[in-house]
Amino acid sequence: MLMTEHAGKCLLKAYGVPVPAGVLMRTSAHVGKWHGAYPVAIKAQVASGGRGKAGGVVRAGDSVQAQAAAQQLFERKFDGEIPASLLVEPWVEHSRELYLAVTIDGESGGYVVLYAPAGGIDVEHQAPHKYAFGAPRDFRAHEFRSMLAAIEPDGALRERIVALARRLLFIATAIDAVTVEINPLAVLPDGKLVALDAKIVRDESAAFRQADLAEGIERARKREPRMVAKALAGNLMMVGLDGEVGLMSGGAGMTMAVMDMIADAGLKPACFLDCSSNPTPAGYQLAFDVLDAEPKVKAILVSIFGGGTQIDRVAKVMNEIITKRKSRKPVVFRMNGTGRDKADVVMRDAGLHNYPTLESAVDAVVAAVRSR
Amino acid sequence: MSVLIDAASRVLIYGIAGNFGRFSARDLASYGTQVVAGAAPGRDTREVESVPVFHNARAACAETHADVALVYVPAPAALDAVLEVLDAGCKVIVYPGDGLPVQDAVELRAAARHHRAILIGPNTPGVISPGKSKLGFMPSFCYMQGPLGVISRSGSLSYEAGWRLTTAGVGQSTVIGVGGDPVKGLNAAEALELLHADPETRAILYLGEIGGSDEYAVARYAGRADAKPAAALIVGAAAPPGKKMGHAAALVGSQADSQAAKVAALRKAGVHVADNLRDLVDAVRHAFGQHEAAMR
Repeated sequence: MLMTEHAGKCLLKAYGVPVPAGVLMRTSAHVGKWHGAYPVAIKAQVASGGRGKAGGVVRAGDSVQAQAAAQQLFERKFDGEIPASLLVEPWVEHSRELYLAVTIDGESGGYVVLYAPAGGIDVEHQAPHKYAFGAPRDFRAHEFRSMLAAIEPDGALRERIVALARRLLFIATAIDAVTVEINPLAVLPDGKLVALDAKIVRDESAAFRQADLAEGIERARKREPRMVAKALAGNLMMVGLDGEVGLMSGGAGMTMAVMDMIADAGLKPACFLDCSSNPTPAGYQLAFDVLDAEPKVKAILVSIFGGGTQIDRVAKVMNEIITKRKSRKPVVFRMNGTGRDKADVVMRDAGLHNYPTLESAVDAVVAAVRSR
Repeated sequence: MSVLIDAASRVLIYGIAGNFGRFSARDLASYGTQVVAGAAPGRDTREVESVPVFHNARAACAETHADVALVYVPAPAALDAVLEVLDAGCKVIVYPGDGLPVQDAVELRAAARHHRAILIGPNTPGVISPGKSKLGFMPSFCYMQGPLGVISRSGSLSYEAGWRLTTAGVGQSTVIGVGGDPVKGLNAAEALELLHADPETRAILYLGEIGGSDEYAVARYAGRADAKPAAALIVGAAAPPGKKMGHAAALVGSQADSQAAKVAALRKAGVHVADNLRDLVDAVRHAFGQHEAAMR
């Protein structure tokens, strides 16, 4: 989960990383009453990257300029998102902009420190230098220092960067962050470092031991469209996709494979809905409730290939749900996997057809959508 | 010969006393896999499905000479359970659970390396060498012995693929679920090296998806002069950018993460990439055709 810049900077500050003394503001009138010194930086608090290039950071020399700039920012969209708040902070005069991050790197299977000697909005044009060390206990300042020696001739600056990298790693492990990125990291005229931005992404899997993260996930869930929010609250994995085929599936890979087949047939899935995280009667009932209530969904495809999920049990549950169900949207089943022989019997006795292959099931659901 | 496990593998099931552990003990035994021990810390269970159950992994391994393990505990307990099994001396460990914090996965990957052991997972059904041994919960009927090595980021997709291959008469040497998380115990590049060195494996099928960089490791492998022929299916073409598709790593954040970019890189390296599940078996047959042409 991505933290806002303001939340990220508060966190950096709490761990002793210098940041400008900013204030979060929700109206332009409020911005106009800034009591600190001018000039100020006014920064849209949005999730999308490339905010600087998109004009989301404005310098204002006085209160009139500040209020006008704020008003404009509150009306602009950044990747579809209108900022709900602005971060106002004193403009920091600096001599250089660097890039420094600690992040998880799937390729090396652990943490890496990323460093680029020219940070700022154009950092993507140059690949940052990478120090990969794996587990936090295997971080070695001297190894990172030797890597920097070839890039940064100024020994005092180098030491500040090494110390800050260690601090960012400490923060990443303490708060379960997969990315702690500072770009730009400003070098002040006296050589000190200040974090002018903060991009911190936290690992949602760690919510069980990070109460504030659990609360953040809960709040984000409530902002989702109703259909998705309901599914997520019931521990189903769901992403709304706006199409007409209600896909109820098990396992992320198979769900995507079936989505692709639906798309290849010229239709769109209404959702990515993976029930494998809650393969219980309540979970499947909720999945049907959600898809039945969504007017865009014209037909439902239940596609489950069970391994640990025993498919005969799922078949029994499906039968119970279908018997009581009020919606008349067509449902196409394709279930295979552990317990499939027993499942076939259950389905046959219930008068439900279980399509033998995914191809035949996808063709059937596509036909059902087209005939409505 | 097979990789990771074989008929001589002696399995410890950690967390055997739960419903899933019991089911898996039965399932593995019915496949002919030797389940020699169970562990259930904090429980009084002494036996499950005729398998002796111990209070800890060290006692279990000392008594029964278990050398591989399957760990069924929820994510909050996984770090300590897998460390325990590593300390007890198991050399191949499957952790199937999902929702493991990434920093715990990093820790476990490093710990496994330190013990010269291999961790498979998290977020995987495990590994199966058809006809020999099974260390996981994939549906056995989907597989049969043969020359195709399979690597998959997705469990369910590997069942579907296995079932299609087996139905079409294409057997498998070893099917490895590397898992859907960003940090894996065994990653695709390392799994490829295992299959590359395995004389029984004549071609390799890779089942991948959007996000992460494993597909590029496969492309790098396929570009090697001594590479075994490879086929692939990459899912997630219909997934919108910026949305996580169930798996922690399945997210299109950049162009390189997209299905199209990955397919292009793999094709450029000479991998037979299926357009979708419908032509998966054909892609594999083309890979074998390439193998036979090279043998002539």
